[in-house]
Amino acid sequence: MPEIYEGLAKVGHILSDRSAAIQKFKAPDRKVVGYLCSYVPLEILTALDLLPFRILGDISEPITMVDRILPESFCPFMRSCIDSILKNKYSFLDGVIGIHSCDPQEKICHAFKSTVKYEFFPYIDMPATTHEWGREMFRRSLDAFKKSCETYVGREISKEALKASIERHNKQRALVRDLYSLKRADPPLISGSETLQVMMALGSIPLEEGNELLEAVIREVGARRGTQGGPGKKRILVYGACLDAVPLIKLIEDFDADVVMDDNCMGPRTYFKDVPLTEDPMDGLTARYLDLTCARTFKEAVVGEFKKDRKADLEVRYGHLAGYIKEWDVQGVIIQLVRFCDPFGYELPELKDYLNSLNVPNMYLELEYTTGSLASLRTRTQTFLETLG
Amino acid sequence: MFFVGLDIGSSMTKVVIINEHDEVIVRILGPTGAEHRRLANKVMQDALQLADLTFDKISYVMATGYGRLNVPFADRQMSEITCQAAGVHTIFPGVKTAIDIGGQDAKGLKIDRGRLVDFVMNDKCAAGTGRFLEVLAETLGIRVEDFGNLSLQAKDKVVVNNICTVFARDEITARISEGKPIADVIAGVHDAIAGRVVNMVKRIKIEPEIVFTAGLATNIGVVKAMEQHTGFKVSIPPNPFTTVALGAAVLGKQIVFKSLEKGEPIKRKERSLEEARFFSSGEAK
Repeated sequence: MPEIYEGLAKVGHILSDRSAAIQKFKAPDRKVVGYLCSYVPLEILTALDLLPFRILGDISEPITMVDRILPESFCPFMRSCIDSILKNKYSFLDGVIGIHSCDPQEKICHAFKSTVKYEFFPYIDMPATTHEWGREMFRRSLDAFKKSCETYVGREISKEALKASIERHNKQRALVRDLYSLKRADPPLISGSETLQVMMALGSIPLEEGNELLEAVIREVGARRGTQGGPGKKRILVYGACLDAVPLIKLIEDFDADVVMDDNCMGPRTYFKDVPLTEDPMDGLTARYLDLTCARTFKEAVVGEFKKDRKADLEVRYGHLAGYIKEWDVQGVIIQLVRFCDPFGYELPELKDYLNSLNVPNMYLELEYTTGSLASLRTRTQTFLETLG
Repeated sequence: MFFVGLDIGSSMTKVVIINEHDEVIVRILGPTGAEHRRLANKVMQDALQLADLTFDKISYVMATGYGRLNVPFADRQMSEITCQAAGVHTIFPGVKTAIDIGGQDAKGLKIDRGRLVDFVMNDKCAAGTGRFLEVLAETLGIRVEDFGNLSLQAKDKVVVNNICTVFARDEITARISEGKPIADVIAGVHDAIAGRVVNMVKRIKIEPEIVFTAGLATNIGVVKAMEQHTGFKVSIPPNPFTTVALGAAVLGKQIVFKSLEKGEPIKRKERSLEEARFFSSGEAK
């Protein structure tokens, strides 16, 4: 039967049943592997015909199963993801990739081992800095990860196959950048909630299908004359970690505002930087993934320099935000972080200092990751937007 | 011209009608209860009756508060924090910091020439709110309205370490069983509330003139504790429950006047107070 959905309608269809969307492509030689974080080098999976599938939380689903293995004072996003796994919503996965990109992710690997038995369960250890020894360690981790994948599938990846995979993923990154460029207009051609849904759909389908979807969405929204409500709405950037909840974007766009840009793991953080095509493709992967602009990796202007220059360090960490703010004509930043997110929570004062130095109004919202907490977030959001004039 | 501010808070619903000179024509309060929509309609009708006005004489209706989205006849909804800034500024033009402790939450506002520039709000927790006092009133068997004057008789206020409503109740029961006078215990509770809220508001820097509003501003004990913790005199509006509704009415008036000045049509909803217009058959019970 021919595909009846196209563009944004297809996005909605995929998100209505993400597991069905990926299982259509599942085969004995195309196993589906779940991952929770942007630091997992999907290029290695793609080169082996494994299908990466992004595990997401569910803000509208009450967390009922996870208390037996995780405390309440634990990243609510991770709790929601594991709760979904314990409720067998991800039982179609053949494997899950564990990674130490934050402590909760490392902890849940132990929880997985004792509760859910996946046939493939590799683990990637990560350094917390970009120092030379950290790069060496990360390279060793990625080599071991590649070896695990090769052993699981039963064949090795050639340099050429890995380079081709990198190029295919870079194509998707270029398309995502094209999509985001449509948000520079006033009014933006695609809303923040629609954008987030597209990004969530990309993590639910194979790479090539994702690229076709992006091309269709770009065609569709490129023909628009703007989002509803016309120009002159407040232009907001949303900053956060794994932000996969459309209601959190809608609560901003329900008022007189457009989310024109974001910096989170579902969007630019994962897609904006290409993997460089190096002679040894593992060098390019090591450099690109360790240099992702995430709170979990300590960054400094001059690596290992004893005498610190705070301003220069902040520029290295957040300079890309200044670019987003300028290019997308951002009027205010809303920082949405889940409660107990230590890596992002610790650097919050630095982030606010940096935004204040740019004279960009900003507000921090602590998220409980439940729809029950939306009323109070709505009041804070509306008030913040009203202070923008 | 007349302007309505309708503030549906978690405990109380407040309506203020003003004229074009910011003079209050009517001010009424009622418990919010569970049916925001039905109540919004009723309090609006009560207010119009008291003011001897008909709905078509109202130039603008601004809804605010926790139930603001449940007012179908409002021309616009704005957050209670923005309205609070406008309300306290109308009464105290020199206000720079406003502290509001209501039934469900506590807020701090930084105000610059009537404009809200920053704010803080407590987390989803009853500690340091009106509900905290209500729970303790139930425990002690004393009317919450009597707390203020009772606390002024304190000789040696107790230190309440717990700020969680549930654990504080246990702690207070323990102090009472140790024989501490009720006045000393209540003064300690007031001190704990003021300490918690002032610490929160310090995040936006407390500067005089400080205005204290909402339910707890009617408690002289909390007001004294607030002055002690801020180090400044605290001003209390004559009607601390209705400053948000007043601000909503004032902001509505500003919108109308701005449109008139520019010669633009006033952006208003097609509205009516008839019940049938906003209770669909499924909702009307």
